[in-house]
Amino acid sequence: MKKELKLTVNGQPYELYVDPKTLLVEALRNLLGLTGTKRGCNCSSCGACTVILNGMAVKSCSILAVQTNGAEVLTVEGLANGAELSPLQKAFLDHGSFQCGFCTPGMLMATTALLAENPKPTKEQIKEGIDGNICRCTGYNSIIRAVTAVVKGEYKEEK
Amino acid sequence: MSKYSVIGTRVHRVDGPEKVTGSAKYTFDLTLPNMLYGKILRSPHPHAKILNIDTSKAEKLIGLKAIVTGKDTIGKKQGIWRRFPELCDEEILCRTKVRYIGDPVAAVAAIDEATAEEALDLIEVEYELLPAVFNPLEAITEEAPQIHEGVELNLNVNRHIEWGNVDDAWKDCDHVREDQFVCSSQAHMCMETHCALASFDYNNKLTVWTSTQSAYYIQALLADMLGIREGDIRVINPYTGGGFGSKFELDSAQFCAALLSQKIRRPVKIVLSREEEFTATKRRTPMYYFLKLGAKKDGTLLAKEVRVITEGGAYTGMGATALYLTGFFSSFPYKYPNYRYDGYRVYTNTEPTSAMRGFGAPQSTFVGESQLDMMAEELGIDPIEIRRKNGMTPNYVVPGQAFIQSCGLHECLDKIEEHIKQRGKLPPNHGIGIASYGFMSGGIFNWFDTSYAFSSAIIRINIDGKVDLFTGANEIGQGSNTTLSMICAEELGVKLDDIRIHSADTGICPADLGAWGSRETLMNGNAVKMAAADAKRQIMEFAAAKLGGNITYDMDIKDRWIHFVDRPERGISYFDVVKEAIRGKDGEVIIGRGHYTPHRKGMISPAYSFGVQAAEVAVDPETGKYKLVNVTTAHESGTVINPVGIEGQLEGAIMMAGGYGYCEDQPMDEGKILNPSIADYKLIRSLDMPETKILEIDTYEPEGPFGAKEAGEGLTNPTAGAIANAVYKAVGVRINTLPITPEKVFSALREKEAKKKKK
Amino acid sequence: MIKDFKYFAPKTLKEALTLLDKYQDECKVIAGGQSLLVLMKQGLVAPEYLIDIKGLTELNYIKSDAKGLRIGALTTHRAIEKSAVIKRKCSVLAEMEQRLASIQTRNWGTIGGNICHGEPAGDPVPVLIALNATLSLASVKGKRNMAVEDFSLDYFETALEHNELLTEIQVPAAPPHTGTAYTKFNVIESDLATVGVAVSITLRSGDGVCQDVRIALGASAPTPMRAKQAEAVVKGKKITDNLLKEAGEIASTEAEPISDIYASAEYRRELMKVLVSRVGKEALARAKQA
Repeated sequence: MKKELKLTVNGQPYELYVDPKTLLVEALRNLLGLTGTKRGCNCSSCGACTVILNGMAVKSCSILAVQTNGAEVLTVEGLANGAELSPLQKAFLDHGSFQCGFCTPGMLMATTALLAENPKPTKEQIKEGIDGNICRCTGYNSIIRAVTAVVKGEYKEEK
Repeated sequence: MSKYSVIGTRVHRVDGPEKVTGSAKYTFDLTLPNMLYGKILRSPHPHAKILNIDTSKAEKLIGLKAIVTGKDTIGKKQGIWRRFPELCDEEILCRTKVRYIGDPVAAVAAIDEATAEEALDLIEVEYELLPAVFNPLEAITEEAPQIHEGVELNLNVNRHIEWGNVDDAWKDCDHVREDQFVCSSQAHMCMETHCALASFDYNNKLTVWTSTQSAYYIQALLADMLGIREGDIRVINPYTGGGFGSKFELDSAQFCAALLSQKIRRPVKIVLSREEEFTATKRRTPMYYFLKLGAKKDGTLLAKEVRVITEGGAYTGMGATALYLTGFFSSFPYKYPNYRYDGYRVYTNTEPTSAMRGFGAPQSTFVGESQLDMMAEELGIDPIEIRRKNGMTPNYVVPGQAFIQSCGLHECLDKIEEHIKQRGKLPPNHGIGIASYGFMSGGIFNWFDTSYAFSSAIIRINIDGKVDLFTGANEIGQGSNTTLSMICAEELGVKLDDIRIHSADTGICPADLGAWGSRETLMNGNAVKMAAADAKRQIMEFAAAKLGGNITYDMDIKDRWIHFVDRPERGISYFDVVKEAIRGKDGEVIIGRGHYTPHRKGMISPAYSFGVQAAEVAVDPETGKYKLVNVTTAHESGTVINPVGIEGQLEGAIMMAGGYGYCEDQPMDEGKILNPSIADYKLIRSLDMPETKILEIDTYEPEGPFGAKEAGEGLTNPTAGAIANAVYKAVGVRINTLPITPEKVFSALREKEAKKKKK
Repeated sequence: MIKDFKYFAPKTLKEALTLLDKYQDECKVIAGGQSLLVLMKQGLVAPEYLIDIKGLTELNYIKSDAKGLRIGALTTHRAIEKSAVIKRKCSVLAEMEQRLASIQTRNWGTIGGNICHGEPAGDPVPVLIALNATLSLASVKGKRNMAVEDFSLDYFETALEHNELLTEIQVPAAPPHTGTAYTKFNVIESDLATVGVAVSITLRSGDGVCQDVRIALGASAPTPMRAKQAEAVVKGKKITDNLLKEAGEIASTEAEPISDIYASAEYRRELMKVLVSRVGKEALARAKQA
């Protein structure tokens, strides 16, 4: 029997009816058409499905959608403000912090959550912040450089 | 002051904004109206005859729309080595026999994934089990079961490379060593698994969106396997989430989706699960290496003899190429007066082994660089010195095999020597090991038997000066879309922003062999450069007429400004000339055409890149665990077109190659892979990644566009060897099998201690 | 793929316990689901009824008083990792959580869920054993308490009855001169333990002799275990490096490690020896400072 699910995604309120076995990532991708969030495994290990739930980075493949009733979810589609990219998005572009791009939405959400919680992380803390996300292309260091650049204030957000 | 406007600059990837906003749609994301979801039933047995497939129960399932088995195919076998029909040995959807756990036997299409999975459970397959063999050393014996009809001793392919006289040379050597090594398997672990969305329409035309490294290969192979014309098939590579060698052969997702769609005339999407990705695609070729090396006491290498037996798995795939290349690159990057290689690829009842980044060279570099360090120690010669003494130089000819034009190996050795000196005295249990390598920029041998040029490009210049670049090159993350756009912009004299690239859509782009063997920058770059030059010439004709300069004056376009080279202030805007050029040609669009196929460049590749890598490890001798502290690479890849791209390739390669050395493996039991999940397949994450440093050496490759050559694969070659040498330097134990795990280091240390005590 | 189930999201503990009592072994409880959902996605577990207790905020707390710490079962790993009170009173718990899986997992997964999952290589249970922690289990019939070290029965099997819920974990206040430390060995930093060791040492005031010691091993047997014979060798003595080495060797014989694709049993035993020594030294140093 489907359950009612009310949640806000990228600032937009939604009212859905979902099968309780629906994972959050499935609700986002299949019901809301937000295909930015990806899936790369079936054992909650790769991090490609990372979104921000009530301010916390979580793996959306490992949460039942029904558990997010009343919650606020931020996906990669919610990072930019219209055409204005977020500081991390700009930094990723400048530093070549992605190649095939499949892990990138998850990486951006993990790093966005990291900086929201701790605006001045050490290098070790940045590494820890993305340790739940696998990237097969970049070797991680360019991602760390991008985050470091944002931490240093090189991308002051225009208000 | 760079003479180039675009190439060599740090730019945003042209696909960057799409990727960082999550707007990029991969095959994984695509849906079509009326689409069905497909799944594949696979053999649970490593070797068996298919006696019967009963699909009747599954057919009754509500929501199940189509089922196909081998009987629904035209019965052909395919393979990517089309030039040699005996190597086209893979039916994909098996008709009579299965040869590894995971071999497909049926596929279904249903209204949703759950129904498709349920349908698989309802298909009953009757097998007659056959004896199976898993180790190539056993499979190559008389007693072993025969995996492919008519293939004696399961000998799939053998290769021989020879020059000089190795047997004669041993007596002239002061030192001869023989060593054995075992190189493990490795999974590509692309973040996007294999997937395909196939739509066979009522016009009998097939369109396939797929995650691929070669839209053209998939088009051609599907044509072969479905018995329809290439021209009736359109393959589109939207965005691809990684390839690394796993995605340029026709795979089960593509073939089954196409077959199902052909049957039901609805779009069918198949996405392989991560488990299928690990167990039922293809993987790096495990190799058993036997090396004999002879040198004079001053370190001059006189002779090298190589014998390799590789684990082929159930089908040939690209394994024949890996077999050849491992033998060829076993001679790299040194000058051997006498050399002999004999390689044997042996079928086994395991997941097929094929191409993976480095293509046999990570294996040959690991074993070769390990042995070379051992020889150096025996001779009392410094590891850098012995490499310097024997290293290849520009314009070296590998007898009967290859012409090396540019080669910056010695400069790389110098840089690494400096780096090691700067590092100074190391803390206890730290060690720095080095490895040198060379790699190709695309392959020459036409095993695919194509009649197309290896790379082609078409440029169309629009009335507003905006350029459409059509190329068959495949962007898989390695940055070819950006690099080729940069080459186009540079040659044409416009800005990167003016280029819009359309790639890897066989319906609109000319054929390109694909993104493998590190070929796109050099081969497709040359095609793009030629096309841009062609278009430019057509513009310049009008510009010359317009400006009416002295016939002896040179003209060029730079930064959208057509001008006299000696009087750059005298010129005209590119945009103005384009308008007039089109009007002047009766309104005909300006089209530039280019192509490239290597001719008379030897057997292997038109150009080679070289490098030296130093890996520093810190070993915990009580547990054997070691940390990868720092990996510094001096490398040369000709003119650097896309510096951000190259850095990315280099650092990323370290993650993959470091993993090959440290932790990645696919242990098997009776043909069953024991760790088919990301939780169990160990790979390097951010907390495990070493510090990386890149030392760029300037070289110029005459064969490449603006002097560029490869930088995607060569960098995967040295790390395992550098790690092996570093561990030895740190704690004095030598591990000759991959991966070099903490347990192996621990056991070796214990053995060493025990030997010491005995003395 | 996840099989269908009937879903309940009880609003109170009482409601949850009533449901559990009704459905017994036909139902599964989901909290953070970081372990359970993996099994359900892979089709290894397919309950008919799923009781979602993640919303029971009454079980999400960290309380501290003179007797010690009381941690609600639905406290997330991340909350424990970041808790100022835990860092001050029982830092080993925060340190252990920091190395558990990834931040994403820790943000949603709960300590109660982890303990009830029964993973022999898990991090929390060996640490809680070393801390002499206890658990509260509730059912419609009432409440009972149990030592953590008695809770794990077998490979992925615990003493939790079908109608019971773990509600609270109690960590007694450490006696003076007590130090506790934990580490795990793994090849990749965020991995489960190949071998995990937690040691708690209490020194006697005045002469610094070991008054009490608890050595807990993870990934060394079908369940996390106490190496009691190793403890006996240390207790009552002045702790030296050699004594810890001896303890490690004995612990490695008490353990029942398996050989699998990650490590052989022999190697695991060797790792135990090394880790017991190292963690013991760290615990001793902390005890001296305390």
